[in-house]
Amino acid sequence: MITEIIIAALLAIGGTFGLVGSYGLVKLPDLMTRLHAPTKASTLGVGGVLLASMADAALRQGTVSWHELLVTLFLFLTAPITANFIAKAHIARAMPREPLPPTGTARDWATLDLSDEPVMPQLTPPGRPGRPS
Amino acid sequence: MSPALIAALPFLGALLPGLLIRAGRNACATVTGFVTLLALIGLGLHIPAVLRGEVIRTQIDWLPALGLNANFMLDGLGLLFAGLILGIGLLIILYARFYLSPRDPMGQFYTYLMLFQGAMLGIVLSDNILLLLVFWELTSLSSFLLIGYWKHLPEGRQGARMALAVTGAGGLAMIAGMLILGQIAGSYDLSDILQARDAIQASDWYLPALILILLGAFTKSAQFPFHFWLPHAMAAPTPVSAYLHSATMVKAGIFLMARLWPVLAGTPEWFWIVTSAGLITMVLGAVIGLFKDDLKALLAFSTVSHLGLITMLLGFGTKAAAMVAMFHILNHATFKAALFMVAGIVDHEAHTRDIKRLGGLRRLMPVTFTIATLAGLSMAGIPPLNGFLSKEMMLEQAAHTPPGLIGLLATLGALVSVAYSFRLIAHTFLGPQRTDYPHKPHDPGFGLWAAPALLAGLVVAIGLMPMTVAGWLVDAAAGAVTGTAAHAHIAHWHGLANPALWMSLAAIGGGLVLLGLHPTLDRLWTALPRPEAKRIFDGLMEPLAALSRHLTAALHPGMLSRYLWIATATIIIVSYYAFRSGSHLPGARALTEVEPIAAIGWLLLMAASVAVVLCHHQRLLTLILIAVVGLMVSVGFAYLSAPDLALTQISVEVVTVILLLLALNFLPKTTPRESSVPRKVRDLGLAALGGLAVGGLIYALMTRDFAFPSIADYHLANSKTLGGGTNVVNVILVDFRGYDTFGEITVLGIAALLIFALTESLLSPGAANDRLRGWVSDTPDAGDRHPLMMVVATRMMLPIALMVGIYIFLRGHNVPGGGFIAGLVVAIALVMQYMASGFGWTAARQRIDYHGLIGAGVLVAAATGIGSWFAGRPFMTSNYGYFEIWPLEEFELATAALFDLGVFLTVLGAVMLALSSLTRLAVRAGQTVNTEAFDMQSELEAEEP
Repeated sequence: MITEIIIAALLAIGGTFGLVGSYGLVKLPDLMTRLHAPTKASTLGVGGVLLASMADAALRQGTVSWHELLVTLFLFLTAPITANFIAKAHIARAMPREPLPPTGTARDWATLDLSDEPVMPQLTPPGRPGRPS
Repeated sequence: MSPALIAALPFLGALLPGLLIRAGRNACATVTGFVTLLALIGLGLHIPAVLRGEVIRTQIDWLPALGLNANFMLDGLGLLFAGLILGIGLLIILYARFYLSPRDPMGQFYTYLMLFQGAMLGIVLSDNILLLLVFWELTSLSSFLLIGYWKHLPEGRQGARMALAVTGAGGLAMIAGMLILGQIAGSYDLSDILQARDAIQASDWYLPALILILLGAFTKSAQFPFHFWLPHAMAAPTPVSAYLHSATMVKAGIFLMARLWPVLAGTPEWFWIVTSAGLITMVLGAVIGLFKDDLKALLAFSTVSHLGLITMLLGFGTKAAAMVAMFHILNHATFKAALFMVAGIVDHEAHTRDIKRLGGLRRLMPVTFTIATLAGLSMAGIPPLNGFLSKEMMLEQAAHTPPGLIGLLATLGALVSVAYSFRLIAHTFLGPQRTDYPHKPHDPGFGLWAAPALLAGLVVAIGLMPMTVAGWLVDAAAGAVTGTAAHAHIAHWHGLANPALWMSLAAIGGGLVLLGLHPTLDRLWTALPRPEAKRIFDGLMEPLAALSRHLTAALHPGMLSRYLWIATATIIIVSYYAFRSGSHLPGARALTEVEPIAAIGWLLLMAASVAVVLCHHQRLLTLILIAVVGLMVSVGFAYLSAPDLALTQISVEVVTVILLLLALNFLPKTTPRESSVPRKVRDLGLAALGGLAVGGLIYALMTRDFAFPSIADYHLANSKTLGGGTNVVNVILVDFRGYDTFGEITVLGIAALLIFALTESLLSPGAANDRLRGWVSDTPDAGDRHPLMMVVATRMMLPIALMVGIYIFLRGHNVPGGGFIAGLVVAIALVMQYMASGFGWTAARQRIDYHGLIGAGVLVAAATGIGSWFAGRPFMTSNYGYFEIWPLEEFELATAALFDLGVFLTVLGAVMLALSSLTRLAVRAGQTVNTEAFDMQSELEAEEP
């Protein structure tokens, strides 16, 4: 009985945060703030469901399940990178420059200035004669 | 040596010259000659047995269900032809070594020559007409390569095309004829067909089969009205002409007529068609040849004429005539090969083959003159040379065959042939010495004249001692053709009462007169309007070519949308026929409940598909929508208990999206709106019809039980016992249908190489390359291409991903996984490195060549398949066993895992090669890459003073 309550509560928490996160994605005004909403869904929302799954395995079936930990690991790896990519692209393409502080170098925000040393590589794989690229 | 090995030797030997040309021209020619000599010795060992009347056979089942077996036999006829092919082939190899100039690629020449030799041997040694057809087509193809050997000469290319078109068309007709013949006889084995004479000649299908087979034989042997390709094939190098047109290619048609003589000959149809074609060819060829100034053209038409003579003899349908035909085949091969080689020598030394510019070479080239005179007199039929013997026997046969016109025309043909033979000798070698040769001629080195001299020696030897030198061979061949023991009586003197003596005398006298009149007649001939064969041929071919160009332009204009609608419409029309003739009501099976999760997935799939249609003008958006479809499909597979498919689908999806994104980089990001309303209506209608039809079909199928027991039960029951794995999908892939998989990975490898080749052509100078250089990206570049977080994460992920790949590979035989999925997983792991750290950085850190990876994969798979031969099992039989090595638990090893390794390597190599090809495009388009791991590094350097 208690185990079922715990599992149900975890599921409910997960579901709620998932809903809130999705709502925020629709509702928030600009990209930078909107970026925050799905993080709630992916951390607390999915985390709740994963915890519920682990609890279910441990408390009701008597086994230890490691899958959820792996899922968490990959989630923690991919979610920040995605957010980082989106934010960088946004800064580079659509963000007004006035509110940003100066970068302190000659370069713009989130940008690699290619003007100083453009590199034209030799792309023939090693040990293979080929056309100079 | 078994006949199969004799026929296979030249094919095996064809690999050698291409390799050994690196060791020099002598080594190349020697090894080619050695292979031929080996086959010739192997053939020679059978001579005693064949002379005893035995037939040596090798039988190898190939496709017994089709009646196509690799059965070979060697009888007297085969011995005669195989001996000519190999013997003259050997001389040609010697001659070509000294004839070809250092600029000509000699290895290529010998490889083509050996391929051709093998194909010819295959024809004459086949005991199965389907096998014979295979070799027949091979001679057409390999002779195409030989005739067009001098690719830089337009005449060479045109001549080769014409020969291929004519003989190829004849070959097609012959396939039909042979199939009819096999159907009548009830077997495709020659030995059986040769026994079925009465059944074949009584059949209603006899005449169509006869005509179709003769079409094949006549085109190959240049019989009227298909004689025109042969002179144009003279654009080939002289060794090729000497080989193809004296002993081999053009004799293939003759061989076939002789081979099928026992079952086809003896009817009025055979007599009239074959005899008249031969007779016309004989006279016409001789007359045209008389007025040719080019030595090789003259010889070409003389070949046409002599082939007509042999055809006519076969047409008579009597055993005596067939025997004369065999004798003349031998004689013609000896003197004609010698004459062709002499023509080549004259061309080589005097730099012209034009008779009008030659003359008086007698003293300048005494050796060549002697050879040419002996061979030329034999061609004219002057006693005591071998040409005289067979020609007189031919005249005797013609005189005894009603109607009398045949004897008259045969004498006329012989008369003209005397005239052109004398003209060849007199106008080239006799007469006053000239001062205006293009090049001062003299006798060539021994290497060049050794081969024709040997042949000239044979001409004399057969002429003087016909019974000793050639009698036994003619007996054996004629015996094989007629099916009864034959005994030739070849003699120079038959008595005054013999009509052939007077016909011969008339021919020689008339020929001399004709030679005297030649200058006058030549002027007359030039003034006369004559049909030009090449113009007629081109006139016929041009509309055909235009028609196919037109069809291709209409059906294959390079527009995918057109291919699609034509294909879809065709399928719909054809399936409508099936729809009308079959039952299409829903079945009686109970439907399962629709579960909510399945319904949601289905709705998502539908929504994404509709969105693709609506948004297809925005390509990036379309790609994302297609990815959604792919993801939903893989989820669907997982839901429907197909984990293997789900894993494959999802990894394929990831790779596809990444590669498409790379390709899209160079394409416009939107599709132009160019469809008109009618086109949209048409496409919509077709799509709706097709979709509804497929949906209806699947509904009808899935609502009823299988009509027949499904093969699935067999796989499920036997996957563990036969294949040693519990994952049925994987066992099917690597074991039950391993051969299919082998084909598929080969195709996959080829596709990847094609992408590479296409990229290569874009990267080499040309219009496309210019466009690529001038390409300006239509979207802004990312500011920071290799963000630190991404780089670090992928670096950390690489070992994990590789381990997952290995794990999936190893477990594949028993639980979902396998080489294909593992290959994709590892490819994705590597692609991630390329994406995160950049191509320059990553490429510098991997030392494996992707081409080699693909090749290694296919080779590993093939080697695994071949390995089962050593265990005495058929190709690709798998084996497995259980082993225990301390401290591991018991585990299974299966040969299928090795095969799977091949799949793994090929998939990995193919994906990575496609990726690197696209990246090369990016570099050519002016995009830079970083040599350091990520951009942060260069930033630090920039801050240093």
